[in-house]
Amino acid sequence: MVEYSEEGKDRRITQLRKGILELAIMGVLYNERHYGYSLVRVLCERGSIALKEGTIYPILARLDRDGLVGSQWVESAQGPPRKYYSLTASGRQLFDELSPEFDALVSLVRLKREAPEQAHEGKKLVIRKA
Amino acid sequence: MNNYPEVVAKIANDYLDRVKAQLRLVPVREQAEFLAEIESHLYEAYQQMAGEDDVARILAVLRNFGEPAEVVFERLPHTMARSGKKRNVPLYIVGGIFIALFGIPLGFGGLGVLVGILAALAGLLVAFCTTAGSVILVGALCVLLGLVQALFPALFDSLVAHGVIQMGGPVGDFLDHFTHFEQGLMFILFGSVWLACGWGMLRLGRYLFRGLRFLAMLLFDRTRRFARGVRGKLRPENRDVPRVNHVAAV
Repeated sequence: MVEYSEEGKDRRITQLRKGILELAIMGVLYNERHYGYSLVRVLCERGSIALKEGTIYPILARLDRDGLVGSQWVESAQGPPRKYYSLTASGRQLFDELSPEFDALVSLVRLKREAPEQAHEGKKLVIRKA
Repeated sequence: MNNYPEVVAKIANDYLDRVKAQLRLVPVREQAEFLAEIESHLYEAYQQMAGEDDVARILAVLRNFGEPAEVVFERLPHTMARSGKKRNVPLYIVGGIFIALFGIPLGFGGLGVLVGILAALAGLLVAFCTTAGSVILVGALCVLLGLVQALFPALFDSLVAHGVIQMGGPVGDFLDHFTHFEQGLMFILFGSVWLACGWGMLRLGRYLFRGLRFLAMLLFDRTRRFARGVRGKLRPENRDVPRVNHVAAV
């Protein structure tokens, strides 16, 4: 039996989140605009995940560069100005296209979790070499 | 405007300096905007962070925010942050310069050495064959002279009188002690020895030719393998060809 170290598990979780986080950010920005801190709060509260808050900014910068989100600096009475982000039309279109893909992947993962173990008994992976 | 306590401002500014250091390859304008955004986030998070101790609060905020290297890592490839594929572009440029300055001349030098070795081996073979041919020719002439001397002594004397055959000195004095027929036999014997030597050289030359041909083919084969290896490295899609050609669940 293969045992994964905690470090290896954390690394995989981080990698998994990085791939999905971009889609999650686009999902949050789909209907409402947010600035960085508020976006993090929404992601943490809705997703109930521990997130390194700084990781969203490079993602936002990349989305901005690709034209998937628009940004605007707005003065704040409570402190430094805030940079608000909102999904552009092309961002919405891409999100609409990616969502079904993501749902399909999630359904695959759930299918594996719900499938009875007996279904795999008696099957072997055979590799034939040339 | 930030209303940090002095010690908190110092910690926050120190953190921003560390982020800035990670972004030194980023254009200044993008750098400033990125830092302003982070500063805004830190300030708001600090305000929202509960606690009595200011230092503990800002440290908790920075801990939640992540290390500067993590914040910029692999997410700004267009700015050539120190990650991702584009990070290697300067290395490729330096590598290209080194190859242009040293690799190509050395490559031509190596090619020159290779051609020189092959030419030297070919020259050695030609010289050997020429020597063997000369030995055989000398032997054949000696045998012919011996036959002439033994069978047609008048013709031989005529050739000597006309200067075609010049034989004087100690060799001539030595041969005067023998009859024409005996002289002819000595010439034939001497020529036969030379012919045997030439034939032996040709026999040995066959092995020498095979050895040199083996060396040349070996050099050619190694060169071809090297060129194929370089071509394979330049075409990544040719690598990692799966050895397994069929996978099936039974």
